[in-house]
Amino acid sequence: MDLKTGLVGSSSSENRELDLVIAGGGPAALSAALYAARYDIEHIVLESYQPGGQAALTALIENYPGIKTISGGDLVAAMKKQAESWGGVFESASVISAVPINDRIEIKADSSIYSVKHLIIATGAAPAKLGVPGEDKFYGRGVSYCATCDAPFFRNSHVLVVGGGDSAVKEALHLSEFVSELTLVHRRDKFRAEPYLAEKLLSRGNCNVLWNTTLKEIKGDDGVESVILNTTDGERELKLDGVFMYVGRKPATEPFVDLVELNDNGTIRTRDIVHTSNRNVFAAGDVTDNGLRQIVTAVSDGARAASAVFEMLQ
Amino acid sequence: MALLSDNDAGEVRKIFGALVSDVHVRVYTQKLECPTCQDTENILKELDELSEKLKISFLNSLDNREEAEKDGVDKAPAIIVSDGTNSRVKFYGTPSGYEFSSLLTTIIDTGGSEEPLTEDTMQFLKELEDDLNMQVFVTPTCPHCPSAAVLASRMARYSDKVKSEVIEANEFPELSTKFRVQGVPRTVINGKFYAEGSLPESMMIQALKKGLEADPSEETNLMDYLQND
Repeated sequence: MDLKTGLVGSSSSENRELDLVIAGGGPAALSAALYAARYDIEHIVLESYQPGGQAALTALIENYPGIKTISGGDLVAAMKKQAESWGGVFESASVISAVPINDRIEIKADSSIYSVKHLIIATGAAPAKLGVPGEDKFYGRGVSYCATCDAPFFRNSHVLVVGGGDSAVKEALHLSEFVSELTLVHRRDKFRAEPYLAEKLLSRGNCNVLWNTTLKEIKGDDGVESVILNTTDGERELKLDGVFMYVGRKPATEPFVDLVELNDNGTIRTRDIVHTSNRNVFAAGDVTDNGLRQIVTAVSDGARAASAVFEMLQ
Repeated sequence: MALLSDNDAGEVRKIFGALVSDVHVRVYTQKLECPTCQDTENILKELDELSEKLKISFLNSLDNREEAEKDGVDKAPAIIVSDGTNSRVKFYGTPSGYEFSSLLTTIIDTGGSEEPLTEDTMQFLKELEDDLNMQVFVTPTCPHCPSAAVLASRMARYSDKVKSEVIEANEFPELSTKFRVQGVPRTVINGKFYAEGSLPESMMIQALKKGLEADPSEETNLMDYLQND
């Protein structure tokens, strides 16, 4: 039986001075925490309320070197345990704002304030919204961004998956094990996802892909009842019970707008991978413009960032 | 075969090392019409071996109707965690997957030496006039769920005005349908407020303060009270 032994942290209401805060709870932050702890840097990790980040929501990971298959949740739990075993310190809180004050950074978390020499931003990204009518209204009522969490509510139902990247196809594969029918709509005429994943989805008997199709509206009364699709042949209404969105990601950079330069797409502008426009601030993982959004690159960024902090503290 | 692997059992034994006072756990199960009761009983029996501080009692909910009623238990499997003085913190359903980490955390919160709530939250709970009945719907595969489950349990542990029920949505489909659960975690408070997803502690308290003041006539999303800030 799968029994998760990781504990839920708590928020602190103390104000403290520290050398380093690591903001985030996904692979980039966990790797930074492991390295910071081993470098003996005085630090705290402000884990968000979604520990493990996006990786924790991935049912199956097959491309983390050295591990043939593992669930995202188990991989991040192992990373956290390893960081803790070396002295990683975690708090369950998210960053509200971070501003430079003299040569330090003041970080406001949920109910505490930290004054630090260095900050590693590893807050990752949240699923982007498509912005169609009905999307907000039916969130939790048939609209979901987490197949791993919510798939069981759609047993023997018909669901729509929106998107064509790795996440869309991977989560569609997971959902197809629960639902009776799955329709995936993608605005292009081919997947961006790895060919291996795409092939697997296209061969599933209960999955149907509509190319060059976009979602226009989600309709229903108390829950999702149908969707309006824009196809090459015009509009079409499809009766179904749920909609899962995988249409990209929104970097979680809002608290840091006064601290570091951002790109137009909201990611943190970096040079030499982890350096930002503020010499005391480093960035790692999906929150950056480093391109490949993979666990293997996130953990690499985290290690580099912690090492850069270590060198500056010498 | 043991449900907890040797590795996990060792891990849990270490975690339970943080217990400084006794934690009382009452487990209600039944043989009939409860496909998950046996697993629940087995998991708790294995936990029982891992700390002297855990005082677990196993009750058959059909043979002990009076006690169940006194504890406010109306479904099985049910797990009540307390310091022995109350039955405000409840878990309904098998504590598997991420549910297990919620249960472990609540055990540590109850018998550990540290107060997990922030000053603001404790102040809010001390001044609370209304009773709060918090129901948190979760699934064992939902990594966001423990934060929401544990926050409700912590509030109920601290204040005798608060009751918490963490409900495994798959195991109680009728209740999930009644509360229209199609996504987790979903927190329902007094049948009047709800929150989708896991709200940070400070946000939950801020929203609740405003919500209780506004006293809406129909079910309202707690996030609505934070939009205007």
